[in-house]
Amino acid sequence: MRDRLLVLALLVAAASSARAQSPPPKSPPAVNGCIECHTALDDPRITPPAKLFADDVHAKAGFTCVFCHGGDARQEDQEKAHDPAKGFIGKPTPRQIPELCGKCHSDPALMKQYDPSQRVDQLAEYRTSGHGKMLAEGDTTVAQCASCHGAHGIQPVKDSRSPVSPTKVAQTCNHCHGDAALMAAHKLPSDPYEKWSRSVHYRARVERGDLSAPTCNSCHGNHGAAPPQVGSVANVCGTCHVTFADQFKLSPHWEPFKDMGLPGCVTCHENHEIVKPSEAFLAEGEQSKCSSCHEADSAGARAAAAMRADLVGLDGEIRQATRLVDRAAEAGMEVSRVHFDLVAATNALTKARSQVHLFRPSAVHAAVAEGLTVARKAAAGGQARLKERDFRRRGLFVSLGLILVTIVALVVKIREGGRSSREPGE
Amino acid sequence: MSEAKRSSSSVPEPAPQPVPGEGGIRAWARDRLGWDDLAHIAAKKRVPVHRYTLFYYLGGMALFLFLVQVATGILLLLYYRPSSAEAFESIQYVMADVPFGWLIRSIHSWGANLFVGVVFAHLASVFFLKAYRPPREMTWVTGAVLLFLALGFGFSGYLLPWNTLAFFATKVGTDVPAQIPGIGHLLSRILRGGSDVSGATLSRFYGIHVAILPAVTTLILGAHLLLVQRHGMSVPRSVEKRTNRTMPFVPDFLMRDMVGWLAAVGLLAALAAFFPWELGVKADPFASAPAGIRPEWYFLWMFQGLKYLPSKIAGIPGETLGVLFFGALAAALVAVPWLDRRGKRGIAVAAVLVLIAAAVLTVLALLPVPSATKP
Repeated sequence: MRDRLLVLALLVAAASSARAQSPPPKSPPAVNGCIECHTALDDPRITPPAKLFADDVHAKAGFTCVFCHGGDARQEDQEKAHDPAKGFIGKPTPRQIPELCGKCHSDPALMKQYDPSQRVDQLAEYRTSGHGKMLAEGDTTVAQCASCHGAHGIQPVKDSRSPVSPTKVAQTCNHCHGDAALMAAHKLPSDPYEKWSRSVHYRARVERGDLSAPTCNSCHGNHGAAPPQVGSVANVCGTCHVTFADQFKLSPHWEPFKDMGLPGCVTCHENHEIVKPSEAFLAEGEQSKCSSCHEADSAGARAAAAMRADLVGLDGEIRQATRLVDRAAEAGMEVSRVHFDLVAATNALTKARSQVHLFRPSAVHAAVAEGLTVARKAAAGGQARLKERDFRRRGLFVSLGLILVTIVALVVKIREGGRSSREPGE
Repeated sequence: MSEAKRSSSSVPEPAPQPVPGEGGIRAWARDRLGWDDLAHIAAKKRVPVHRYTLFYYLGGMALFLFLVQVATGILLLLYYRPSSAEAFESIQYVMADVPFGWLIRSIHSWGANLFVGVVFAHLASVFFLKAYRPPREMTWVTGAVLLFLALGFGFSGYLLPWNTLAFFATKVGTDVPAQIPGIGHLLSRILRGGSDVSGATLSRFYGIHVAILPAVTTLILGAHLLLVQRHGMSVPRSVEKRTNRTMPFVPDFLMRDMVGWLAAVGLLAALAAFFPWELGVKADPFASAPAGIRPEWYFLWMFQGLKYLPSKIAGIPGETLGVLFFGALAAALVAVPWLDRRGKRGIAVAAVLVLIAAAVLTVLALLPVPSATKP
């Protein structure tokens, strides 16, 4: 009998400890003693996590505390509930966390039951990341899963409450990467967020609400976060700026940049503080990008000047045409078709600016020539409408003159006939 | 001998004798069209002369502006395409490419506003001069119906260019009848040709604007003019006993009328040349409504009034009560000759109050909307 009881006890203990390793039940257990005790204890160290867990995505899917922390949720006695023999690990250490999360999140069969579109390579990616590598080396100050997603009260990434939701991820990264002391210890700058917040990407994403504009993880990756290497910068930028990346690879700069170890796009556009490019990049002066490598009067400087002259010329013609068209529009003239020409000219200017990445003046010139044709057509359209406005006004004054003459004639006739025709009514 | 007897007789009718000094065409028209009868009526018609005579010109002005609308509308019909895919572009073509198309369209649009304004003024002058007194009750009733028809022309025509403002204003406008208890939603569906404003609404409004309303207006206007001709001009009581002077309608009154008409043409031409009627942006049914959507000025007071009503009044939706109130107001307008009790000023006071409320609401609707993004 005693043998039988021992076997039964061992089976129960084995089943309990195995819970931390096995998939969750279809429905949550009737009793979750962890929450009951941790909430009732009202300890600022252990109560808030227990309360937060109620709104956690895992709790909603039927997972309980023991799936990460081990132990036995059915026990009222603390010692029994926290029994290491039942897999209790307490608060996981930073080094344990990635493996703990990866236990489920790297299991395709399990993840498919909850979210078939969910990726299962986060742990593998994390191990290749700067964070993962340093953690493996024993640096526990680096980010692991809980640093970004939170530990309790985890929300899906799409949920705006999640610290890694598209609108919050940059602030979450900045939590560590903006910490000067922490970054100094890792020999990293602590101003990437500050610089990014002055960039065109920030303006597009935060000010205009364009979520397709890049934030930290768009370029660095998320679970595999690492700084793009010199050779891969063009690829990173090229995921969005496809044309520029292709043109750059065809340009005479591609090979020399590689040879000199220059990081492609970043060489001229910076990495985080990516400001709006302008023709001044091609001129001499403070904003010049070319003059840092090409001496004045060199072939490169002359090519830059030629491209700049073409771009400035087209920009000027478009502005002039726009002024004319705007004046015509203010006068109430129908200018929608001329607007099409203006849009085409602006598109040609954009194309010409993109051709700069080929670093061949002839390519820029061809695109500019195309733009000049439509810009001049738009200007002519604006002029024609202003002439039409003048014609209408001249026509109006002639018509008003004729109307006035007729009115005067009528008034004279009325005065002549009025005296004689009025007579007392019957 | 009667006409019937003459036609049944086998004796050939003698040819009409030409009047000495008259041309062949005039004689021909006189015998066949009864020209002399018309000339006789015109010569006999006289207009009373007193200090309120000026108000008599408003009726002629309204008629003239209506004819301008008919003429310019027919010209626009030659180019307009009533479909959601082509309506906007066809007006764009009229404004940019058709010789003097801009002039015709601008005159039509400005003229519509001037026409409604003059009709309002005409109605107000007739009301305050109490020209609806017996036996002119039906002249008033036909006039009131003509005002509603003018508003119908304005409402249906506003959508035809198929631009954003018109599209969303029509959405709001066709939602108003839906507030009528019982048949409201059916009425709204009939107006829209579906559950929402779409290309079907445009076709419907086009049909209403160029066929149904003109046909009904022609009949009512004919009756109105016939009644004016039948009863002559009403003389206000206050001047009835003080003057008995008149002037012949032809040519004296007509020439004065023409001075006003010419001035109106000049005004319309100036507005068209300096402020061509805007076309705006093509309607996009999938876009969200832009800020500042509002109907034409003559509907603004109702639009603003409905906005101020609370959502429920004594358990009844505020907008339903508002729409019922406007309906009652329209019915009261038609029934003015019977509501006016002799010696009582109640109806005039009520009308002045309604006019003041409408003016205040219109001004409030025209005030710029404060920006919601201001800190």
